[in-house]
Amino acid sequence: MTAPLKRIGGSLVVLAVVLALNFFLFRVMPGDPLTSIVDPRFSPEAKAELASQWGLDRPLSEQFVVYVREMLSFRFGLSMMTGAPVWDELKRRVPNTVALLLPALVLSASLGIWLGVKAALNRGSTVERVVLWSGTVSFSFPSFFVQILLLMCFAYFWRIFPLSGTTSIPPPTGGAAAIDYIWHLALPLFSLVVMGFGGFALYIRNMMVKALGEEYVLMARARGLPFRRVVWNHAFRSILPPVLTILLLSLPGVVSGAVITETVFSMNGVGRFLLEATNSHDYPAAGAAFFCLALLTVGCNLLADAAYVLVDPRVRREGSRE
Amino acid sequence: MKRWASTAAFALLAALAIAGPGPLGLSDGQVAPPYSKPGWLDSSIAPSIELRVGAGESAAAAISWGYSAPLRVSLTGALGETGLVKWVTPSGDFVLSQTPGEMDLDARDIPFKRALGISPFENMPSALFPSRGEYALSLEGSGDVVMRIEGGRWGLLGTDHRGRDMAALFVRGLRVSLIVGIAATLIATLLGLSLGLLSGYAGGFTDALVMRAVDVLLSIPTLPILMVIAGIWGKSLWNLVVILSIFSWMGTARTVRAMTLTLRDASWVEGLRAIGARRNYILFRHLVPETLPLLLANVALGVPGAILAEAGLSFLGLSDPRLPSWGRMLHDAHMFGAFASGAWWSILPAGIGISVICLMFLDIGRKLEERADPRLAAETKQKAIEEAGA
Amino acid sequence: MSDRGESEIRAEGLSVTYTGGGMTTRAVKNCSFRVPKGKVVGLVGESGSGKSSALMAIPGLLPAGTLVSGSIYCGGTDLAALKEDGLADWRWRRIAIVPQGAMNSFTPHLTIERHITEVLAHHLKTHRKAGRERAAELLRAAGLDAAMLARYPHELSGGQKQRAALALALACEPGFLLADEPTTALDVITQKEVLDTIVNIVRERGMGLLLVTHDLSLAAGICDTLIVMKDGEIAESGPARQVAENPRHPYTQRLIEAIREMDVAR
Repeated sequence: MTAPLKRIGGSLVVLAVVLALNFFLFRVMPGDPLTSIVDPRFSPEAKAELASQWGLDRPLSEQFVVYVREMLSFRFGLSMMTGAPVWDELKRRVPNTVALLLPALVLSASLGIWLGVKAALNRGSTVERVVLWSGTVSFSFPSFFVQILLLMCFAYFWRIFPLSGTTSIPPPTGGAAAIDYIWHLALPLFSLVVMGFGGFALYIRNMMVKALGEEYVLMARARGLPFRRVVWNHAFRSILPPVLTILLLSLPGVVSGAVITETVFSMNGVGRFLLEATNSHDYPAAGAAFFCLALLTVGCNLLADAAYVLVDPRVRREGSRE
Repeated sequence: MKRWASTAAFALLAALAIAGPGPLGLSDGQVAPPYSKPGWLDSSIAPSIELRVGAGESAAAAISWGYSAPLRVSLTGALGETGLVKWVTPSGDFVLSQTPGEMDLDARDIPFKRALGISPFENMPSALFPSRGEYALSLEGSGDVVMRIEGGRWGLLGTDHRGRDMAALFVRGLRVSLIVGIAATLIATLLGLSLGLLSGYAGGFTDALVMRAVDVLLSIPTLPILMVIAGIWGKSLWNLVVILSIFSWMGTARTVRAMTLTLRDASWVEGLRAIGARRNYILFRHLVPETLPLLLANVALGVPGAILAEAGLSFLGLSDPRLPSWGRMLHDAHMFGAFASGAWWSILPAGIGISVICLMFLDIGRKLEERADPRLAAETKQKAIEEAGA
Repeated sequence: MSDRGESEIRAEGLSVTYTGGGMTTRAVKNCSFRVPKGKVVGLVGESGSGKSSALMAIPGLLPAGTLVSGSIYCGGTDLAALKEDGLADWRWRRIAIVPQGAMNSFTPHLTIERHITEVLAHHLKTHRKAGRERAAELLRAAGLDAAMLARYPHELSGGQKQRAALALALACEPGFLLADEPTTALDVITQKEVLDTIVNIVRERGMGLLLVTHDLSLAAGICDTLIVMKDGEIAESGPARQVAENPRHPYTQRLIEAIREMDVAR
């Protein structure tokens, strides 16, 4: 099998595991899903009717088929709270989550790369100390604590950012809507970048220190190439594959972070939807939100894999030769 | 000195966690109005004070008052047949009660205000505390009366939204964080150790299966799945420990596998095999002891992850609500309007506590890593990275 | 051609001191030597004798924090006094290196073609297409098939890599080549072939070659001048034949005896 195909296969396996886990967690776990949400005063007949409405009275195998079909067709079944299709609720929230996570990832990776390279070039400098510290901080400070502090500073004591929400209520129209959206996004985004760049920077610093000591970097200097070219086109470019790996490995954590960030800032995203659904025992909704988050991770994984293939000639060649 | 700082801090915190809030004289219930400031913070604000007279104690309790009026005043206890409670202020005396029997009076009660000759719309605490100066609660006759003056200050860390002492909650939260962090990491490490050894030493299909499982679990966002499971299984402390350990053994398994592979190919292990040592002997007499120091470092380095995960789940409200933990404290602060009250003291202790304890474990872990065989550590790290990239 | 009256590289009283980790090591002590154009100069010594340090001092490529004293003159300029900016002008255009072993001297993610065209574009402002043709020419001169241009470094054998390194070194037609153990990692036959290619090209084009090697017998067969280094000092230098056949310094004598014994043992 070629390398790219192998990776796509791996992602499909992850997706299958998520699907199966999702199904069995909700159905095979102790407690009948109905007992927790249905009013105990309901008559057995009414209960049975509800059970058949969600297909809970059918055999597990049949339920599984229906479930997989619902998941893969993005309908996700009916919400137990509202009775409406889950997807109708979810589809308004997915863009909000993407609008938060994607820029956060791009910005923290860029900042991490820039600072990490700078730190590696200036050993013993302030930049290096900052990188070493921010790396440690990002591994040991809870993100929600930092976010609450930010909220406290910039939304309560110094009211320059909104305290909560995705848009103002009522939302403005026209061009003001975009500005309003960004204004609400700014603080959560900033917090994710602040907490996110340290890990990247630390990792890239370590890789870069090693790369800069390689003979081919010395030889690139010997060729009289400009400093920037040596640093970026030779040293940094050569560590790009492992950098992508670490980016890829950090994705699940970033997605997990969405749940917390959206909760702290009361944003209208998939993560908070998951929390609300979990708290109200709305299993189809929670399952769908979880599936969406997992899908987001797997999708980003595939993107990172594709980039990896483009970036590492060794992988690329293997792919094209076989 | 610096080398032992983290270990000393750990010992101190562990002792604090084991002792609990009791020995420090901290009580768990409601002690002061919600969101009281820490006692040392603002000395112009009235503190919370309890005055007690009667029942073998002196018949008068005097205080000197140098603040503006408190938030609330209440009077509880019992009066004898001829009893009379008097509040002596610089500008005049109030007879608070002369009705025999049980009493439970609050300064917000309108009949109480009427009885004292204060208009129902007037703020009684400011009538009872007209100015700065010497005040006294005095009891004539028999009885046992407690006057609680509730100001805006309390203790070392203030109070939360339910008027509970933050310091007591902090100590309780420390206990939860340490228990969950250490227990979950230990279980996860044992899981990781056995699966990693199995995978590295057995090779073949078993190896492929375990490593595939590692890959899959590592690419699923953990927090959502933890939330879902916590939501279904229930939110008890031990459930949390089990869930956390099920989803955090992968790193250890990968490291142990890499170590086993490195060691399996080492010449001295080959030597052992050549002289006829059996697999189990090599595994448990040589490989496991050899990997132990690094494993210990791994445990210490893994604790912050578990503590952060527990805090995250608690923050989302997915922990036992009766069990005060640091994450729960932040959850409460976030949910019950600590912002609107500007109560930063209900946020900082828990957050700093989590951060410091994580930093501490990271530091201990790094020290242990340095003391373990450095070459093995480096090779293992390299192998694990390559593994992740492949 | 960048011939501006630079007829030789002349090191005078060159000393190299490594600092770091609280220790200072003098690797090269007060050495003077000349590498004239059109000549092959062999710098011979055992490992740790300071020969590589002396070579790397010429284009200023010693690790940061290394102290270099003395002068390295080339056409009236003291290279040892130049900063990184000033040296960029000298590196590769006038003084190129064929590195040790060439094992790890290529950037792994760039093709051989990219290595050559990058240098051409930077130093000679050669356009892409012209650069590609020139690269093919260079490879052929170094004894490689032009098809190797599209290869990545890891796809070449040791001997091919060494030839590619030679092609890359010749890209800007420098006046001087510095070769640091260029063939050590290769098998004996390939070693001979590659070395012959290097020396032929150097002689053909009238370049100056400083060949650093631990192999005295090898150097004696090719070089015009031999310099023998021991413990950072020049033990003996002179015309190759004289040094090889009639060594004056006891160290050189021992080196030659050792080679003879090895030959007998074979």
